Amino acid sequence: MGMQPKTIFQQIFKISGIVLFCTVTLLFLYPLLWLADSSFRPWTEVASTVPFFVEKNPIEAISSYNLKAMTEALIGGEGLTKWNVGLAFINSVWVTIAAILLTIVVCSFAAYAFAYLNFPFKKPVFVIVIATMMLPMTTMVVPYYLLLNTLGLIDNPLGLIIPYAASAFSIFLLRQYFVKVPFSYIESARMEGSSEFRILFSIIMPLARPAIAAMAIIQFRLVWNDFLYPMLILKTQEFFTLPIIIKFMDSKNIDKPYDVIVATGFIAVSVPLIFFLIFQRQFIEGLTGGLKQ
Amino acid sequence: MLQKNRLRKEAITAGFFLAPYLILMVIFTVFVFGMGAIKSLTDAARLNPGEFIGFDNYIQVLSDDKFWRAVATTFMYMFGAMLVQIPVAFLLANILNTINKRFRGIFRAAFFIPVLVNSIVLAFLFRQLFATDFGMINWFFGVLGMPNNTDWLRSPSLAVPLLVIVSSWQWMGFHAIYFLANLQSIDVTLYEAAKIDGASPVRVLMQITFPMMKSALTFVMVTSAIGCLQLFDLVYMLFPDNGYVGGTARTIVAYIYDESFSQASRYGYASAAGWVAFFIILAISLLQLRFLGLGQSKEQ
Repeated sequence: MGMQPKTIFQQIFKISGIVLFCTVTLLFLYPLLWLADSSFRPWTEVASTVPFFVEKNPIEAISSYNLKAMTEALIGGEGLTKWNVGLAFINSVWVTIAAILLTIVVCSFAAYAFAYLNFPFKKPVFVIVIATMMLPMTTMVVPYYLLLNTLGLIDNPLGLIIPYAASAFSIFLLRQYFVKVPFSYIESARMEGSSEFRILFSIIMPLARPAIAAMAIIQFRLVWNDFLYPMLILKTQEFFTLPIIIKFMDSKNIDKPYDVIVATGFIAVSVPLIFFLIFQRQFIEGLTGGLKQ
Repeated sequence: MLQKNRLRKEAITAGFFLAPYLILMVIFTVFVFGMGAIKSLTDAARLNPGEFIGFDNYIQVLSDDKFWRAVATTFMYMFGAMLVQIPVAFLLANILNTINKRFRGIFRAAFFIPVLVNSIVLAFLFRQLFATDFGMINWFFGVLGMPNNTDWLRSPSLAVPLLVIVSSWQWMGFHAIYFLANLQSIDVTLYEAAKIDGASPVRVLMQITFPMMKSALTFVMVTSAIGCLQLFDLVYMLFPDNGYVGGTARTIVAYIYDESFSQASRYGYASAAGWVAFFIILAISLLQLRFLGLGQSKEQ
């Protein structure tokens, strides 16, 4: 009998917990559902006074879905402004791939040196590298801009790609993993006369695939969504990445192309989401493994 | 002799392996900060390399009301964001931990997705949701019979709360999953022992969960603070007309950005502001680390 109140309390607690939970989940997903819905409908309909899910006739609403904004964004067309979102998409893709590959190469070499090679001042150098992780780079927009300008990297996609490879966190992550490989593997490879270069590429990197994947995911999220520095660096529209072209279209005060902005936003968000749905476990493990905002 | 040779060869190899990274690091961090330091002592601007003016820029930054307003805005945002996100995320993680494994995956995915969404798209989305005339938020208030004509995006008093809402949407679920991973690594026998001893849930929370979660909580607090202090993308995109709602929503980085690339383009001044901001962020991080004792938990 004494258990009764507790069970009721627990029941109420459990039910309210579930209700709260489902509400929170819906709140997390709603803006994205809105984005998906709006991308396929004329803006005049989207900007009505009722949200899409309470429209009087859902069938009619769905039947008004079309690819007009998508087409305008990606291809342009007769009587439409050419926004070149398709080109921005391609830029985003190749900049992201290049930045990830460069980071993998540069940071694997450095992580290998920190994990397996002896050299003078190893410890202080490693401490300095790790300390750079804490630096708030956003406060240095001006000197960063001036330096890239001196190097001729303004309005140059290379200026966007190369700095990403200076990723102290990637070194930290890879080194953590590299040191777990039994040292006997390396010793025996050295006995057989393998060069350090070969040991890195044919023994360590294949074994460290999970760490490399985690690092690639962190860099992917960072590069794909980056805004402040690309905005400083890219001046010509043909180099724009997706976030930059969205801001560019949004800064039009007259005839702001809402349809195209929404469609572009949908494309920009879809890519990481598709990868996430395929590699869910790797994404969650990689990013919770230590992501700084 | 052979040993010495081998060591030298190893050091040379290490030099080659480290060189690409160290060169990039020197250019893109050391040089950047160094250049900032040099420029901050000059009156450099666009098309003007600048002359040495000592610490004038620093004195100007420290006596500029707009700068301190930006600091105040950023701090309010930081406290708001952390006060909302961390406790709620902690609560969500605890609920998530009790949920049936089959459903947990779905919730976990839904919680995680916002952190992948581009901040620029996110700001655009929330601008539409909070739109005065057709926004879903005002529609909802209307349905509930509450005033439904709030001008969310242009009210100075709502600017920081709005930023807190948007960033909570983006980060809360992620923090919850991070906490969940740490909750699951707590030894179950601790809880079983507490149950046998008849400890109350509050006591279990205070004596087991909190101490075991200390390093996770510290990590989230420190990284959140650093992230919040550098807020830019959201403020830059969320509010219409690029005005930061009459300046009330201008954050520190937005202030630096405005000084750098507005019409005046005061590069020297903006560099000085950057260094001041750098010291503010550093001070907050060090204070937190000291207060929360991350250094100790890391050594364990």
